[in-house]
Amino acid sequence: MSSAPSTPLIIRARAVTKRFGDFEALQGMDLDVRAGECVGLLGPNGAGKSTFIGCLYGVVERDKGELEIFGYDPAKNPRLIKERLGVVPQENALDEGLTVLENMKIYALFGGLSSKAALPRIQELLAHMSLEHKQDATIRTLSGGMKRRLTFVRALLSDPELLILDEPTAGLDPTVRHLLWDKVLSFRQAGKTVLVTTHYMHEAELLCDRIVILNKGSVVGKGAPRELIEKEAPGYVGIFGHDTESKLSPHLHAAWDVFHQGRQCCVRAPKLEDLMHLQQLSGIQALQLRPSNLEDVYLKLTGRDLDDNE
Amino acid sequence: MNNLLIPLRLSWHVVVRNWMVYRKDFLANISPTLADPALMMAALGVGLSPFIGQINGLSYAQYLAPGMIATTALFTAFFECSYGFYVRMTFESVFKAMLTTPIGVREVVIGEFLWLFIRAALMSTGVGLVLAVMGLLPNPWALFLFPFIGGFLSLPCGAIGLIAAAQVRNINQFQTVYSFLIAPIYFLSSVFFPLDDRPVLGFIVQFSPFYHGVRLLQISAWGTWDLQEILFHIGALIVFTVVLGAWALRRIEQKLTA
Repeated sequence: MSSAPSTPLIIRARAVTKRFGDFEALQGMDLDVRAGECVGLLGPNGAGKSTFIGCLYGVVERDKGELEIFGYDPAKNPRLIKERLGVVPQENALDEGLTVLENMKIYALFGGLSSKAALPRIQELLAHMSLEHKQDATIRTLSGGMKRRLTFVRALLSDPELLILDEPTAGLDPTVRHLLWDKVLSFRQAGKTVLVTTHYMHEAELLCDRIVILNKGSVVGKGAPRELIEKEAPGYVGIFGHDTESKLSPHLHAAWDVFHQGRQCCVRAPKLEDLMHLQQLSGIQALQLRPSNLEDVYLKLTGRDLDDNE
Repeated sequence: MNNLLIPLRLSWHVVVRNWMVYRKDFLANISPTLADPALMMAALGVGLSPFIGQINGLSYAQYLAPGMIATTALFTAFFECSYGFYVRMTFESVFKAMLTTPIGVREVVIGEFLWLFIRAALMSTGVGLVLAVMGLLPNPWALFLFPFIGGFLSLPCGAIGLIAAAQVRNINQFQTVYSFLIAPIYFLSSVFFPLDDRPVLGFIVQFSPFYHGVRLLQISAWGTWDLQEILFHIGALIVFTVVLGAWALRRIEQKLTA
Protein backbone atom coordinates (compact mmCIF):
# COMPACT_ATOMS: atom_id res chain seq x y z
CA MET A 1 0.00 0.00 0.00
CA SER A 2 1.40 3.33 -1.04
CA SER A 3 0.47 5.37 1.99
CA ALA A 4 1.48 4.81 5.56
CA PRO A 5 -1.15 5.43 8.25
CA SER A 6 0.81 8.54 9.23
CA THR A 7 -0.12 10.47 6.09
CA PRO A 8 -3.03 12.84 6.70
CA LEU A 9 -6.60 11.73 6.14
CA ILE A 10 -8.20 13.59 3.24
CA ILE A 11 -11.59 11.91 3.55
CA ARG A 12 -12.90 10.44 6.77
CA ALA A 13 -16.39 8.97 6.80
CA ARG A 14 -17.95 7.13 9.74
CA ALA A 15 -21.40 5.54 9.64
CA VAL A 16 -22.73 8.04 7.11
CA THR A 17 -26.40 7.52 6.35
CA LYS A 18 -28.73 9.12 3.84
CA ARG A 19 -32.33 8.30 3.14
CA PHE A 20 -34.51 9.51 0.28
CA GLY A 21 -38.07 8.85 1.38
CA ASP A 22 -38.27 5.07 1.83
CA PHE A 23 -35.02 4.42 0.03
CA GLU A 24 -31.88 4.07 2.14
CA ALA A 25 -29.19 5.33 -0.21
CA LEU A 26 -26.39 5.10 2.36
CA GLN A 27 -26.56 2.78 5.37
CA GLY A 28 -23.56 3.42 7.57
CA MET A 29 -20.86 4.16 5.04
CA ASP A 30 -17.27 4.11 6.33
CA LEU A 31 -14.30 5.28 4.32
CA ASP A 32 -10.79 6.57 4.89
CA VAL A 33 -8.82 8.11 2.06
CA ARG A 34 -5.28 9.24 2.81
CA ALA A 35 -3.24 11.86 1.00
CA GLY A 36 -1.70 10.48 -2.17
CA GLU A 37 -4.04 7.50 -2.46
CA CYS A 38 -6.30 6.58 -5.32
CA VAL A 39 -9.41 4.86 -4.03
CA GLY A 40 -12.03 3.30 -6.30
CA LEU A 41 -15.70 3.10 -5.39
CA LEU A 42 -17.41 0.21 -7.14
CA GLY A 43 -20.97 -0.94 -6.92
CA PRO A 44 -24.14 -1.39 -8.92
CA ASN A 45 -26.24 1.55 -10.07
CA GLY A 46 -28.13 2.75 -7.02
CA ALA A 47 -25.56 1.39 -4.55
CA GLY A 48 -24.93 4.89 -3.19
CA LYS A 49 -21.72 5.95 -4.95
CA SER A 50 -23.00 9.23 -6.35
CA THR A 51 -24.94 9.97 -3.16
CA PHE A 52 -21.74 9.58 -1.17
CA ILE A 53 -19.81 11.79 -3.57
CA GLY A 54 -22.55 14.41 -3.30
CA CYS A 55 -22.14 14.32 0.50
CA LEU A 56 -18.43 15.11 0.11
CA TYR A 57 -18.98 18.55 -1.39
CA GLY A 58 -22.27 19.44 0.19
CA VAL A 59 -24.89 18.99 -2.54
CA VAL A 60 -26.25 16.02 -0.62
CA GLU A 61 -26.77 16.51 3.09
CA ARG A 62 -26.20 13.34 5.07
CA ASP A 63 -28.72 12.35 7.73
CA LYS A 64 -26.30 10.90 10.28
CA GLY A 65 -22.68 9.97 10.78
CA GLU A 66 -19.38 11.83 10.77
CA LEU A 67 -17.83 13.18 7.62
CA GLU A 68 -14.67 15.24 7.20
CA ILE A 69 -12.87 16.32 4.06
CA PHE A 70 -9.58 18.13 4.67
CA GLY A 71 -10.77 18.16 8.29
CA TYR A 72 -13.91 20.17 7.47
CA ASP A 73 -17.52 19.08 7.71
CA PRO A 74 -19.11 19.53 4.26
CA ALA A 75 -22.49 20.27 5.85
CA LYS A 76 -20.93 23.28 7.60
CA ASN A 77 -18.03 24.47 5.45
CA PRO A 78 -18.62 23.30 1.89
CA ARG A 79 -16.80 26.28 0.42
CA LEU A 80 -13.53 25.58 2.25
CA ILE A 81 -13.66 22.02 0.89
CA LYS A 82 -14.67 22.98 -2.64
CA GLU A 83 -11.80 25.44 -2.91
CA ARG A 84 -9.43 22.46 -2.72
CA LEU A 85 -11.08 19.81 -4.86
CA GLY A 86 -11.84 19.22 -8.51
CA VAL A 87 -14.81 17.19 -9.68
CA VAL A 88 -15.49 15.40 -12.94
CA PRO A 89 -19.24 14.80 -12.58
CA GLN A 90 -21.13 12.08 -14.44
CA GLU A 91 -22.59 14.69 -16.77
CA ASN A 92 -20.14 17.11 -18.33
CA ALA A 93 -22.50 20.06 -17.83
CA LEU A 94 -20.47 22.35 -20.09
CA ASP A 95 -22.11 25.49 -21.49
CA GLU A 96 -22.95 24.20 -24.97
CA GLY A 97 -23.30 27.62 -26.59
CA LEU A 98 -19.94 28.95 -25.41
CA THR A 99 -16.49 28.23 -26.77
CA VAL A 100 -13.91 26.02 -25.07
CA LEU A 101 -11.96 29.04 -23.88
CA GLU A 102 -15.06 30.88 -22.61
CA ASN A 103 -16.18 27.83 -20.65
CA MET A 104 -12.81 27.48 -19.00
CA LYS A 105 -12.52 31.21 -18.27
CA ILE A 106 -15.79 31.12 -16.38
CA TYR A 107 -14.70 28.16 -14.29
CA ALA A 108 -11.29 29.71 -13.66
CA LEU A 109 -13.20 32.68 -12.30
CA PHE A 110 -15.40 30.40 -10.15
CA GLY A 111 -12.27 28.69 -8.86
CA GLY A 112 -10.77 31.98 -7.75
CA LEU A 113 -8.03 32.34 -10.39
CA SER A 114 -7.21 35.90 -11.37
CA SER A 115 -7.91 36.68 -15.02
CA LYS A 116 -4.17 37.16 -15.52
CA ALA A 117 -3.30 33.71 -14.17
CA ALA A 118 -6.26 32.03 -15.84
CA LEU A 119 -5.27 32.15 -19.51
CA PRO A 120 -1.82 30.52 -19.25
CA ARG A 121 -3.24 27.88 -16.89
CA ILE A 122 -6.12 27.10 -19.27
CA GLN A 123 -3.81 26.88 -22.27
CA GLU A 124 -1.38 24.65 -20.42
CA LEU A 125 -4.15 22.22 -19.46
CA LEU A 126 -5.74 22.29 -22.92
CA ALA A 127 -2.38 21.36 -24.42
CA HIS A 128 -2.01 18.66 -21.78
CA MET A 129 -5.31 17.15 -22.94
CA SER A 130 -4.50 17.68 -26.66
CA LEU A 131 -7.27 20.23 -27.03
CA GLU A 132 -5.26 23.37 -27.77
CA HIS A 133 -6.44 23.44 -31.39
CA LYS A 134 -10.07 23.54 -30.17
CA GLN A 135 -9.71 26.65 -28.05
CA ASP A 136 -12.20 28.70 -30.07
CA ALA A 137 -14.58 25.87 -30.99
CA THR A 138 -18.12 25.96 -29.63
CA ILE A 139 -18.83 23.11 -27.23
CA ARG A 140 -21.66 21.65 -29.25
CA THR A 141 -19.28 21.02 -32.15
CA LEU A 142 -17.00 18.83 -30.01
CA SER A 143 -17.07 15.03 -29.92
CA GLY A 144 -18.01 13.17 -26.73
CA GLY A 145 -14.37 12.37 -26.04
CA MET A 146 -13.31 15.99 -26.42
CA LYS A 147 -16.05 17.16 -24.08
CA ARG A 148 -14.94 14.65 -21.48
CA ARG A 149 -11.32 15.78 -21.77
CA LEU A 150 -12.47 19.37 -21.38
CA THR A 151 -14.38 18.40 -18.25
CA PHE A 152 -11.07 17.09 -16.88
CA VAL A 153 -9.42 20.41 -17.76
CA ARG A 154 -12.20 22.19 -15.87
CA ALA A 155 -11.71 20.00 -12.80
CA LEU A 156 -7.96 20.67 -12.78
CA LEU A 157 -8.10 24.46 -13.32
CA SER A 158 -7.62 25.51 -9.72
CA ASP A 159 -4.90 22.92 -9.09
CA PRO A 160 -6.93 20.76 -6.67
CA GLU A 161 -5.47 18.52 -3.97
CA LEU A 162 -8.29 16.00 -4.35
CA LEU A 163 -9.82 14.89 -7.62
CA ILE A 164 -13.24 13.25 -7.60
CA LEU A 165 -14.09 11.32 -10.75
CA ASP A 166 -17.65 10.05 -11.15
CA GLU A 167 -17.60 7.43 -13.92
CA PRO A 168 -14.88 9.36 -15.75
CA THR A 169 -14.60 7.19 -18.86
CA ALA A 170 -18.15 5.90 -19.34
CA GLY A 171 -19.00 5.65 -23.02
CA LEU A 172 -15.58 6.73 -24.31
CA ASP A 173 -13.46 5.03 -26.96
CA PRO A 174 -10.33 3.15 -25.82
CA THR A 175 -7.93 5.83 -27.05
CA VAL A 176 -9.52 8.59 -25.00
CA ARG A 177 -9.83 6.23 -22.06
CA HIS A 178 -6.11 5.50 -22.11
CA LEU A 179 -5.29 9.19 -22.40
CA LEU A 180 -7.43 9.99 -19.38
CA TRP A 181 -5.98 7.14 -17.33
CA ASP A 182 -2.55 8.45 -18.13
CA LYS A 183 -3.55 11.91 -16.91
CA VAL A 184 -4.97 10.51 -13.68
CA LEU A 185 -1.77 8.56 -13.07
CA SER A 186 0.40 11.64 -13.60
CA PHE A 187 -1.91 13.64 -11.32
CA ARG A 188 -1.25 10.97 -8.68
CA GLN A 189 2.48 11.08 -9.26
CA ALA A 190 2.34 14.70 -8.15
CA GLY A 191 1.23 13.36 -4.75
CA LYS A 192 -2.43 14.23 -5.19
CA THR A 193 -5.42 12.22 -4.01
CA VAL A 194 -8.08 10.64 -6.22
CA LEU A 195 -11.50 9.17 -5.53
CA VAL A 196 -13.03 7.46 -8.55
CA THR A 197 -16.29 5.62 -9.19
CA THR A 198 -16.43 3.28 -12.13
CA HIS A 199 -18.14 0.26 -13.62
CA TYR A 200 -15.00 -0.76 -15.48
CA MET A 201 -13.12 -3.28 -13.36
CA HIS A 202 -10.06 -2.92 -15.51
CA GLU A 203 -10.05 0.81 -14.87
CA ALA A 204 -10.34 0.27 -11.14
CA GLU A 205 -7.52 -2.27 -11.12
CA LEU A 206 -5.29 -0.03 -13.19
CA LEU A 207 -5.77 3.23 -11.30
CA CYS A 208 -6.55 2.34 -7.72
CA ASP A 209 -4.43 1.39 -4.71
CA ARG A 210 -7.54 0.39 -2.92
CA ILE A 211 -11.04 -0.63 -3.92
CA VAL A 212 -14.18 -0.17 -1.88
CA ILE A 213 -17.20 -2.14 -3.06
CA LEU A 214 -20.59 -0.73 -2.16
CA ASN A 215 -23.87 -2.56 -2.25
CA LYS A 216 -27.20 -1.19 -1.09
CA GLY A 217 -25.60 1.73 0.65
CA SER A 218 -22.89 0.03 2.66
CA VAL A 219 -19.39 -1.32 2.18
CA VAL A 220 -19.33 -5.03 1.35
CA GLY A 221 -15.66 -5.38 0.50
CA LYS A 222 -12.45 -3.41 0.52
CA GLY A 223 -8.75 -3.75 -0.02
CA ALA A 224 -6.05 -3.57 -2.66
CA PRO A 225 -7.27 -5.10 -5.94
CA ARG A 226 -4.99 -8.17 -5.73
CA GLU A 227 -5.77 -8.68 -2.04
CA LEU A 228 -9.49 -8.52 -2.72
CA ILE A 229 -9.25 -11.10 -5.47
CA GLU A 230 -7.14 -13.39 -3.26
CA LYS A 231 -9.56 -13.04 -0.41
CA GLU A 232 -12.95 -13.11 -2.09
CA ALA A 233 -12.52 -15.02 -5.34
CA PRO A 234 -9.15 -16.77 -5.60
CA GLY A 235 -8.29 -19.20 -8.36
CA TYR A 236 -9.36 -19.61 -11.97
CA VAL A 237 -12.62 -19.28 -13.81
CA GLY A 238 -13.83 -21.46 -16.63
CA ILE A 239 -16.63 -20.11 -18.79
CA PHE A 240 -18.75 -22.76 -20.50
CA GLY A 241 -21.39 -22.37 -23.20
CA HIS A 242 -25.11 -22.51 -22.51
CA ASP A 243 -26.92 -25.74 -21.69
CA THR A 244 -23.70 -27.28 -20.39
CA GLU A 245 -24.52 -27.30 -16.71
CA SER A 246 -26.27 -30.70 -16.66
CA LYS A 247 -23.19 -32.33 -18.20
CA LEU A 248 -20.79 -30.47 -15.95
CA SER A 249 -22.57 -30.91 -12.66
CA PRO A 250 -21.68 -34.58 -11.94
CA HIS A 251 -18.01 -33.59 -12.04
CA LEU A 252 -18.17 -30.39 -9.99
CA HIS A 253 -16.47 -30.16 -6.64
CA ALA A 254 -18.68 -28.99 -3.76
CA ALA A 255 -16.21 -26.27 -2.76
CA TRP A 256 -16.13 -24.72 -6.22
CA ASP A 257 -18.12 -21.68 -7.05
CA VAL A 258 -20.66 -22.15 -9.83
CA PHE A 259 -22.58 -19.20 -11.24
CA HIS A 260 -24.23 -17.94 -14.38
CA GLN A 261 -23.45 -15.01 -16.58
CA GLY A 262 -26.27 -14.63 -19.01
CA ARG A 263 -26.63 -18.12 -20.51
CA GLN A 264 -23.09 -19.10 -19.77
CA CYS A 265 -22.18 -21.39 -16.91
CA CYS A 266 -19.11 -20.28 -14.97
CA VAL A 267 -17.02 -22.40 -12.64
CA ARG A 268 -14.37 -21.01 -10.32
CA ALA A 269 -11.86 -23.53 -8.96
CA PRO A 270 -8.67 -23.08 -6.95
CA LYS A 271 -6.32 -24.30 -9.67
CA LEU A 272 -6.12 -24.16 -13.42
CA GLU A 273 -5.60 -27.96 -13.46
CA ASP A 274 -8.97 -28.44 -11.75
CA LEU A 275 -10.65 -26.81 -14.73
CA MET A 276 -8.57 -28.75 -17.27
CA HIS A 277 -9.57 -31.92 -15.51
CA LEU A 278 -13.23 -30.85 -15.56
CA GLN A 279 -13.01 -30.39 -19.33
CA GLN A 280 -11.67 -33.92 -19.75
CA LEU A 281 -14.22 -35.55 -17.45
CA SER A 282 -17.25 -33.78 -18.91
CA GLY A 283 -16.02 -33.71 -22.47
CA ILE A 284 -16.89 -30.03 -22.76
CA GLN A 285 -14.39 -27.42 -23.85
CA ALA A 286 -14.59 -24.16 -21.93
CA LEU A 287 -15.11 -21.02 -24.02
CA GLN A 288 -12.51 -19.35 -21.89
CA LEU A 289 -10.21 -20.20 -19.00
CA ARG A 290 -8.77 -17.27 -17.07
CA PRO A 291 -7.43 -16.20 -13.68
CA SER A 292 -10.18 -14.76 -11.51
CA ASN A 293 -10.37 -10.97 -11.56
CA LEU A 294 -12.00 -8.02 -9.89
CA GLU A 295 -15.23 -8.59 -11.78
CA ASP A 296 -15.60 -11.98 -10.09
CA VAL A 297 -15.17 -10.29 -6.73
CA TYR A 298 -17.62 -7.59 -7.67
CA LEU A 299 -20.29 -10.01 -8.85
CA LYS A 300 -19.83 -12.24 -5.82
CA LEU A 301 -20.15 -9.38 -3.35
CA THR A 302 -22.94 -7.41 -4.99
CA GLY A 303 -25.11 -10.31 -6.07
CA ARG A 304 -25.29 -11.76 -9.53
CA ASP A 305 -28.96 -11.24 -10.22
CA LEU A 306 -30.48 -7.93 -11.21
CA ASP A 307 -33.26 -8.15 -8.62
CA ASP A 308 -30.65 -8.29 -5.86
CA ASN A 309 -30.02 -4.64 -6.57
CA GLU A 310 -32.96 -3.12 -8.35
CA MET B 1 -16.08 40.60 6.66
CA ASN B 2 -14.85 37.81 4.42
CA ASN B 3 -17.99 35.88 5.17
CA LEU B 4 -19.92 38.59 3.40
CA LEU B 5 -17.49 39.56 0.65
CA ILE B 6 -16.58 36.11 -0.67
CA PRO B 7 -20.20 35.01 -1.23
CA LEU B 8 -20.92 38.34 -2.92
CA ARG B 9 -17.94 37.91 -5.22
CA LEU B 10 -19.08 34.38 -6.03
CA SER B 11 -22.61 35.64 -6.75
CA TRP B 12 -21.10 38.19 -9.08
CA HIS B 13 -19.35 35.36 -10.94
CA VAL B 14 -22.80 33.86 -11.61
CA VAL B 15 -23.75 37.21 -13.17
CA VAL B 16 -20.63 37.14 -15.35
CA ARG B 17 -21.48 33.61 -16.50
CA ASN B 18 -25.05 34.55 -17.38
CA TRP B 19 -23.87 37.61 -19.26
CA MET B 20 -21.38 35.56 -21.32
CA VAL B 21 -24.15 33.17 -22.35
CA TYR B 22 -26.70 35.97 -22.87
CA ARG B 23 -24.55 38.08 -25.19
CA LYS B 24 -24.12 35.12 -27.56
CA ASP B 25 -27.74 35.52 -28.60
CA PHE B 26 -27.99 39.19 -27.78
CA LEU B 27 -30.52 40.17 -30.41
CA ALA B 28 -32.78 37.18 -29.82
CA ASN B 29 -32.60 37.77 -26.09
CA ILE B 30 -33.25 41.48 -26.14
CA SER B 31 -36.00 41.48 -28.82
CA PRO B 32 -39.10 40.33 -26.93
CA THR B 33 -38.53 42.55 -23.94
CA LEU B 34 -38.20 45.63 -26.14
CA ALA B 35 -40.42 44.68 -29.06
CA ASP B 36 -43.46 43.72 -26.98
CA PRO B 37 -43.83 47.07 -25.21
CA ALA B 38 -43.10 48.92 -28.47
CA LEU B 39 -45.84 46.98 -30.23
CA MET B 40 -48.22 47.55 -27.34
CA MET B 41 -47.53 51.29 -27.49
CA ALA B 42 -48.13 51.32 -31.23
CA ALA B 43 -51.38 49.37 -31.08
CA LEU B 44 -52.94 50.73 -27.91
CA GLY B 45 -51.13 53.99 -27.32
CA VAL B 46 -51.09 55.32 -30.87
CA GLY B 47 -53.90 53.29 -32.42
CA LEU B 48 -56.48 53.22 -29.67
CA SER B 49 -55.65 56.43 -27.80
CA PRO B 50 -57.57 58.84 -30.10
CA PHE B 51 -60.81 56.96 -29.41
CA ILE B 52 -60.43 57.21 -25.67
CA GLY B 53 -60.96 60.33 -23.60
CA GLN B 54 -58.46 61.61 -21.08
CA ILE B 55 -57.69 59.75 -17.88
CA ASN B 56 -56.88 62.06 -14.97
CA GLY B 57 -55.81 64.73 -17.47
CA LEU B 58 -53.54 62.34 -19.40
CA SER B 59 -53.94 61.04 -22.94
CA TYR B 60 -54.37 57.26 -23.04
CA ALA B 61 -50.88 56.91 -24.56
CA GLN B 62 -49.45 58.85 -21.60
CA TYR B 63 -51.48 56.75 -19.23
CA LEU B 64 -50.17 53.55 -20.77
CA ALA B 65 -46.50 54.61 -21.03
CA PRO B 66 -45.16 53.82 -17.52
CA GLY B 67 -46.92 50.46 -17.62
CA MET B 68 -44.71 49.49 -20.54
CA ILE B 69 -41.65 49.73 -18.31
CA ALA B 70 -43.40 47.53 -15.78
CA THR B 71 -44.22 45.12 -18.61
CA THR B 72 -40.57 44.84 -19.56
CA ALA B 73 -39.53 44.27 -15.95
CA LEU B 74 -42.24 41.65 -15.32
CA PHE B 75 -41.60 39.61 -18.45
CA THR B 76 -37.83 39.81 -18.18
CA ALA B 77 -38.12 38.61 -14.61
CA PHE B 78 -40.67 35.89 -15.06
CA PHE B 79 -39.28 34.31 -18.22
CA GLU B 80 -35.65 34.51 -17.15
CA CYS B 81 -36.35 32.95 -13.77
CA SER B 82 -38.96 30.39 -14.81
CA TYR B 83 -38.11 28.99 -18.26
CA GLY B 84 -34.56 30.33 -18.21
CA PHE B 85 -33.63 28.95 -14.82
CA TYR B 86 -35.48 25.69 -15.42
CA VAL B 87 -33.58 25.08 -18.67
CA ARG B 88 -30.27 25.85 -16.95
CA MET B 89 -31.15 23.54 -14.08
CA THR B 90 -32.71 20.64 -15.99
CA PHE B 91 -31.61 20.44 -19.61
CA GLU B 92 -28.21 22.10 -19.36
CA SER B 93 -27.31 20.77 -15.88
CA VAL B 94 -25.40 24.01 -15.37
CA PHE B 95 -25.56 23.78 -11.58
CA LYS B 96 -24.27 20.21 -11.41
CA ALA B 97 -20.91 21.58 -12.44
CA MET B 98 -21.21 25.01 -10.84
CA LEU B 99 -21.92 23.60 -7.39
CA THR B 100 -18.68 21.60 -7.44
CA THR B 101 -16.83 24.94 -7.37
CA PRO B 102 -16.77 27.23 -4.32
CA ILE B 103 -20.18 28.56 -5.44
CA GLY B 104 -23.10 27.35 -3.29
CA VAL B 105 -26.85 27.38 -3.85
CA ARG B 106 -27.25 30.68 -2.02
CA GLU B 107 -24.69 32.32 -4.29
CA VAL B 108 -26.50 30.86 -7.30
CA VAL B 109 -29.82 32.38 -6.23
CA ILE B 110 -28.37 35.74 -5.19
CA GLY B 111 -26.44 35.79 -8.48
CA GLU B 112 -29.67 35.20 -10.40
CA PHE B 113 -31.32 38.11 -8.58
CA LEU B 114 -28.34 40.40 -9.23
CA TRP B 115 -28.33 39.45 -12.89
CA LEU B 116 -32.06 40.03 -13.10
CA PHE B 117 -31.82 43.43 -11.41
CA ILE B 118 -29.16 44.58 -13.87
CA ARG B 119 -31.08 43.33 -16.89
CA ALA B 120 -34.39 44.79 -15.77
CA ALA B 121 -32.71 48.10 -14.93
CA LEU B 122 -31.13 48.34 -18.38
CA MET B 123 -34.36 47.32 -20.13
CA SER B 124 -36.34 49.84 -18.13
CA THR B 125 -33.92 52.56 -19.13
CA GLY B 126 -34.20 51.52 -22.78
CA VAL B 127 -37.99 51.52 -22.81
CA GLY B 128 -38.02 54.77 -20.82
CA LEU B 129 -35.84 56.48 -23.44
CA VAL B 130 -38.17 55.40 -26.22
CA LEU B 131 -41.16 56.76 -24.27
CA ALA B 132 -39.35 60.05 -23.67
CA VAL B 133 -38.57 60.40 -27.36
CA MET B 134 -42.23 59.74 -28.15
CA GLY B 135 -43.08 62.60 -25.80
CA LEU B 136 -45.06 60.40 -23.47
CA LEU B 137 -43.36 61.34 -20.20
CA PRO B 138 -44.95 64.38 -18.52
CA ASN B 139 -42.08 64.18 -16.04
CA PRO B 140 -38.89 63.41 -18.02
CA TRP B 141 -36.80 63.30 -14.83
CA ALA B 142 -38.44 59.96 -14.18
CA LEU B 143 -35.90 58.52 -16.60
CA PHE B 144 -33.40 58.52 -13.72
CA LEU B 145 -35.78 56.58 -11.50
CA PHE B 146 -36.87 53.95 -14.00
CA PRO B 147 -33.78 51.70 -13.72
CA PHE B 148 -34.16 51.52 -9.93
CA ILE B 149 -37.91 50.96 -9.90
CA GLY B 150 -37.76 48.54 -12.84
CA GLY B 151 -34.88 46.61 -11.27
CA PHE B 152 -36.55 46.54 -7.88
CA LEU B 153 -39.88 45.47 -9.37
CA SER B 154 -38.21 42.57 -11.20
CA LEU B 155 -36.97 40.95 -7.97
CA PRO B 156 -40.26 39.69 -6.47
CA CYS B 157 -41.48 38.80 -9.99
CA GLY B 158 -38.28 36.83 -10.55
CA ALA B 159 -38.81 35.11 -7.20
CA ILE B 160 -42.22 33.94 -8.42
CA GLY B 161 -40.48 32.57 -11.52
CA LEU B 162 -37.91 30.70 -9.41
CA ILE B 163 -40.59 29.22 -7.17
CA ALA B 164 -42.42 28.08 -10.31
CA ALA B 165 -39.17 26.62 -11.67
CA ALA B 166 -38.77 24.58 -8.49
CA GLN B 167 -42.41 23.56 -8.48
CA VAL B 168 -43.22 22.45 -12.05
CA ARG B 169 -42.90 18.81 -13.06
CA ASN B 170 -42.17 19.63 -16.69
CA ILE B 171 -41.57 22.70 -18.78
CA ASN B 172 -45.12 22.84 -20.18
CA GLN B 173 -46.54 23.62 -16.76
CA PHE B 174 -45.10 27.14 -16.93
CA GLN B 175 -47.89 27.84 -19.39
CA THR B 176 -50.40 27.27 -16.58
CA VAL B 177 -48.47 29.54 -14.25
CA TYR B 178 -48.44 32.17 -16.96
CA SER B 179 -52.13 31.91 -17.81
CA PHE B 180 -53.51 31.81 -14.29
CA LEU B 181 -51.02 33.95 -12.39
CA ILE B 182 -48.77 36.15 -14.51
CA ALA B 183 -51.30 37.17 -17.17
CA PRO B 184 -54.01 38.20 -14.66
CA ILE B 185 -51.43 40.10 -12.62
CA TYR B 186 -50.32 41.81 -15.80
CA PHE B 187 -53.70 42.74 -17.23
CA LEU B 188 -55.41 43.78 -13.99
CA SER B 189 -52.76 45.81 -12.16
CA SER B 190 -53.69 49.27 -13.48
CA VAL B 191 -51.33 49.13 -16.45
CA PHE B 192 -54.26 49.38 -18.89
CA PHE B 193 -56.95 51.11 -16.84
CA PRO B 194 -57.10 52.97 -13.52
CA LEU B 195 -58.50 51.16 -10.50
CA ASP B 196 -59.75 54.28 -8.69
CA ASP B 197 -63.41 53.35 -9.08
CA ARG B 198 -62.98 49.62 -8.61
CA PRO B 199 -62.61 48.97 -4.87
CA VAL B 200 -62.71 45.15 -5.07
CA LEU B 201 -60.09 44.77 -7.78
CA GLY B 202 -58.17 47.64 -6.22
CA PHE B 203 -58.00 45.65 -2.99
CA ILE B 204 -57.06 42.32 -4.61
CA VAL B 205 -54.14 43.74 -6.59
CA GLN B 206 -52.53 44.97 -3.38
CA PHE B 207 -51.42 41.34 -2.93
CA SER B 208 -49.39 41.36 -6.11
CA PRO B 209 -45.91 42.89 -6.04
CA PHE B 210 -46.34 43.92 -9.67
CA TYR B 211 -49.10 46.42 -8.83
CA HIS B 212 -46.89 48.33 -6.38
CA GLY B 213 -44.14 48.60 -8.98
CA VAL B 214 -46.60 49.80 -11.60
CA ARG B 215 -47.86 52.50 -9.26
CA LEU B 216 -44.32 53.70 -8.47
CA LEU B 217 -43.55 53.92 -12.19
CA GLN B 218 -46.81 55.79 -12.87
CA ILE B 219 -46.23 58.23 -10.02
CA SER B 220 -42.76 59.06 -11.26
CA ALA B 221 -43.70 59.22 -14.97
CA TRP B 222 -46.67 61.50 -14.33
CA GLY B 223 -45.05 63.47 -11.54
CA THR B 224 -48.03 62.98 -9.22
CA TRP B 225 -45.98 62.85 -6.04
CA ASP B 226 -47.66 61.68 -2.86
CA LEU B 227 -45.09 60.78 -0.24
CA GLN B 228 -47.39 58.55 1.77
CA GLU B 229 -48.38 56.51 -1.25
CA ILE B 230 -44.78 56.25 -2.43
CA LEU B 231 -43.60 54.97 0.94
CA PHE B 232 -46.46 52.50 1.07
CA HIS B 233 -45.60 51.00 -2.33
CA ILE B 234 -41.88 50.90 -1.58
CA GLY B 235 -42.61 49.18 1.72
CA ALA B 236 -44.89 46.66 0.03
CA LEU B 237 -42.25 45.90 -2.62
CA ILE B 238 -39.62 45.35 0.07
CA VAL B 239 -41.88 42.97 1.97
CA PHE B 240 -42.73 41.02 -1.20
CA THR B 241 -39.07 40.87 -2.23
CA VAL B 242 -37.94 39.56 1.16
CA VAL B 243 -40.74 37.03 1.60
CA LEU B 244 -40.83 35.72 -1.97
CA GLY B 245 -37.03 35.85 -2.24
CA ALA B 246 -36.60 33.76 0.92
CA TRP B 247 -39.22 31.32 -0.28
CA ALA B 248 -37.52 31.03 -3.68
CA LEU B 249 -34.14 30.43 -2.04
CA ARG B 250 -35.61 27.68 0.10
CA ARG B 251 -37.32 25.95 -2.82
CA ILE B 252 -34.26 26.16 -5.07
CA GLU B 253 -32.09 24.85 -2.23
CA GLN B 254 -34.39 21.85 -1.92
CA LYS B 255 -34.27 21.38 -5.67
CA LEU B 256 -30.52 21.60 -6.15
CA THR B 257 -29.43 19.73 -3.05
CA ALA B 258 -30.69 16.55 -1.46
